[in-house]
Amino acid sequence: MKAVATLTAEAARARRLRRERRRGIIRHAVLLVWTAVVLFPIFWMISTSFKDAGEWVTWPPHWLPHSPTLHNYAQIFAFSEMDPSLSRQATEQAFSIWKGLGDAAFICTTSSLLALLLGTFLAYAISRFNVGGRYFRHLILMIRMVPPIVVAIAILMYYAIMIPYATSSLLGVQISLFDTYTGLILLYTVTTLPFVIWMMLSFIDEVPYTLEHAARLMGAGRLTVLRRVVIPLVASGMVVTFLFVFILNWAEFLLALTLTHPEVTTLTVLLNKFQSASEGRLYGPQAAIGTVITLPVVILGILIQKHLVKGFSFGTIRK
Amino acid sequence: MARIVLRDLVKTFGAYTAVDGINFEVKDGEFLIMVGPSGCGKTTTLNMISGLETPTSGEIVIGNAVVNDLEPGERGLGMVFQDLALFPHMSVFENIAFGLRVKRVPEDEIRRRVVAAAEAVHIKPLLDKLPRQCSGGESQRVALARTIVTNPSVFLMDEPLSSLDAKLRVDMRTELKGLHRRLGATFVYVTHDQAEAMTMADRIVVMNRGRVEQLGTPLEIYGRPASLFVAGFFGTPTMNFIEGTIEAEGAGRLFRSRAIAHPLPASVPAALAGRSVVLGVRAEHVFVEKEGERRGEVRLTEPLGDATLVFFDCGLPTPLVAKAPPNTPLAPGHALAFRFAPEHCHLFDAVAGTRLN
Ligand SMILES: Nc1ncnc2c1ncn2[C@@H]1O[C@H](COP(=O)(O)OP(=O)(O)OP(=O)(O)O)[C@@H](O)[C@H]1O
Ligand SMILES: [Mg+2]
Repeated sequence: MKAVATLTAEAARARRLRRERRRGIIRHAVLLVWTAVVLFPIFWMISTSFKDAGEWVTWPPHWLPHSPTLHNYAQIFAFSEMDPSLSRQATEQAFSIWKGLGDAAFICTTSSLLALLLGTFLAYAISRFNVGGRYFRHLILMIRMVPPIVVAIAILMYYAIMIPYATSSLLGVQISLFDTYTGLILLYTVTTLPFVIWMMLSFIDEVPYTLEHAARLMGAGRLTVLRRVVIPLVASGMVVTFLFVFILNWAEFLLALTLTHPEVTTLTVLLNKFQSASEGRLYGPQAAIGTVITLPVVILGILIQKHLVKGFSFGTIRK
Repeated sequence: MARIVLRDLVKTFGAYTAVDGINFEVKDGEFLIMVGPSGCGKTTTLNMISGLETPTSGEIVIGNAVVNDLEPGERGLGMVFQDLALFPHMSVFENIAFGLRVKRVPEDEIRRRVVAAAEAVHIKPLLDKLPRQCSGGESQRVALARTIVTNPSVFLMDEPLSSLDAKLRVDMRTELKGLHRRLGATFVYVTHDQAEAMTMADRIVVMNRGRVEQLGTPLEIYGRPASLFVAGFFGTPTMNFIEGTIEAEGAGRLFRSRAIAHPLPASVPAALAGRSVVLGVRAEHVFVEKEGERRGEVRLTEPLGDATLVFFDCGLPTPLVAKAPPNTPLAPGHALAFRFAPEHCHLFDAVAGTRLN
C-alpha cells in the first residue's frame, strides 16, 4: 500500500521534471532566436568593418569577409589625413576619427561630470530640505519629456544668432556658442541634469537622516557630513549615474548635428559624414567607426551592471 | 555643571503643535527619563535639546548658558539614536573615532581614547569589524562607545534599547545604569516602555500630547499619579478605574458608583462631596475574600508565577482585576467578595482627569 503510494509519487515527480525540462528547452529556443535577431545588425556591422570596398554591397551577401582586411580601421585611425596609400580617389573627406573621438570623449566626460556634481547637490537639497516643494521631484523628469527636436532649433537660434548679437551689442565682443565645446557641454549638462537628479534622489533618499544627525552632533559641519557620510554612501550610485549619463551623451546625435561642425565634431556626427563623391556611402569605415563607438558602451554597460547591484543594495545595510 | 533647563518650550509643525510649552529642569548628574505614548513629543523635545530641531519659542539652558543659537556640535552633548545611526561604510573603530577626527584630535590620542571607550563597553575585539557584522547588542555598545569617547557632559538617548530583544534589553538596562554611575554625566533618556522608566530613572517626566503630565521619582509617580493619564500609563496590569460620585457620610466619605459603594478614608476633603470622579485602584490593592458585602464572579485568571491575576465581574461595564496569591483556588465562574485598600484609592476629576486627594 505504502510502496504503491511512493511509486505513484515518484512517477508524478518524474513527469513534472520532464515537463519542466521541455518547457525550459522551448524557453531557451525562443530566447536564442530573439538574441540572434537582436545581435544580427551588430554582427553585420563588425563583419562589414573587416570587408574591402568590393564586398560591402555584393549579392548574394558575404556573411563573413572573403578577404578580411584592416584597411577600414587603418583609415579611420590614420594620423595623417593625407596619407596617399589610405586615401580614396576623389575624396576630400577626412576619414580620421581621432578628432571625433577626442571631441566626444572630452565633451561627454566633462558634461557628465558637471551634471553629476550639480545633480548630486541638487538632489541632496531636494531630498533633505524639500527645495521646490513636494512635487518638484516629479516635475524634474517632466522637463525631460520634451523631445529634443522641439528645442534643437530654438537653441540654434540662441547659440548662432541671439547670443552673438546680444554680446556684441552689450559687451562689444561677439561670443558665439555655436560649434564650440562650451556650447555642447552646457547643453549636454542641462539635458542630462534631470536624469542625474532623479537617479541621485533615489540613492540619497536611502541614506537615513539619523546618520547625518549623528555626525552633526559629533561636531561635523554640513559640508563634512556630505563629504564623510553622504557621498561615501552614495558613491556607487554616483558611478552608476555617471555611466548612464555618459552613455546618453555618447550616443546623442540630434543636438550635436544641429549645433556643431565643422569645428567641433562628435563621433555620432562624424559617422554620418562618411560618404565620398565617387563611391557613395563608405560602409566599411562607417562600420569600423560604429564598432569603435559601440565598444566603450558595451564595457560601460558591463560596469554599470556590477555597480547597479551595489548602488541599489546599501539600503539593506540598515538594521 | 551640566544641568539642563527647558523654559516654555514650544515646537509646532505647520498647524500641528508637537510640544506645547514644557518646563522642567534636569539636575546635574541626574538620570532623567522621558516617557509617554507614541507621538507625544519626546523625540521632538530631545531634538530641541540637541539642536537638531529649532524651537518655535522658549529657551533651552545647558549649564549656565542659553544654547538656542548654538550648533548641535557645539553643545557638548552625546546622543544615542533609536536606530543607532552607525555609519555603515566605516569600521567600528572609525565609527567611534569620528567625533575625534572631526575635532582634529591627534592620531595617537584618537587611538588611545577609542580603545579606552571600546574597553568601557567591552567591544575591544570588534574594532576592525563593520557595523553590519555586529549583532544587535554589539551595535548597541558601539553606539554607546561612540558617544562616550567624546566625553560629553550630557547624554541624550532616544529609545536606545527598542531594537533589542527582551532579554538583552533587561541586561542593557543594568549596564546603562552602571555606565551612568561611572561617568557621573547627566542622562536624558527617552522611552515609551514604562517598565524601563521605573527601573532606571532617578526621576521620570511623563509626557502626553506635548505637555508634561508629571515629574517625579518612580515611586512618587507610581504611588501618587498626578492624573488619570499617568495612573493608567504606569503599572501592569493597568489600574482599575471606576466612575462614580463622592458622598459625605457624617465624618466619613463614601464612593458610590452604579454597581458598588466603597468607604474612603477621612483624609478625602469634605469639599469633594457631590463631585463626579474616577476612582483608581491598583490590582495589588484589591483584596479578594470569601465573604463580604461587595460580591463578584470570576471571569478569568492569569497566573504570573509570583501572583495570580483574577479578573472578575461586579456589575461594572469592565471587569476589575485583583492580584491574588499564586495558589488561589479561584477559577472562572466562582463567586468572590472584594474590598479596596482605602488609603490606596486614587481619586481623579471625571472631566479634567486631575488628581483630587
Ligand atoms: N518633521 C516633522 N514634521 C511634521 N510633524 C512632525 C515632524 N516631526 C514630528 N512630527 C509630529 O510631532 C509629533 C511628535 O513627534 P515625536 O517624534 O516627538 O513623537 P515621540 O513622542 O518621539 O513618539 P514615538 O514614541 O513614536 O517616537 C508626532 O505627532 C509627529 O507626527
Ligand atoms: Mg520618538
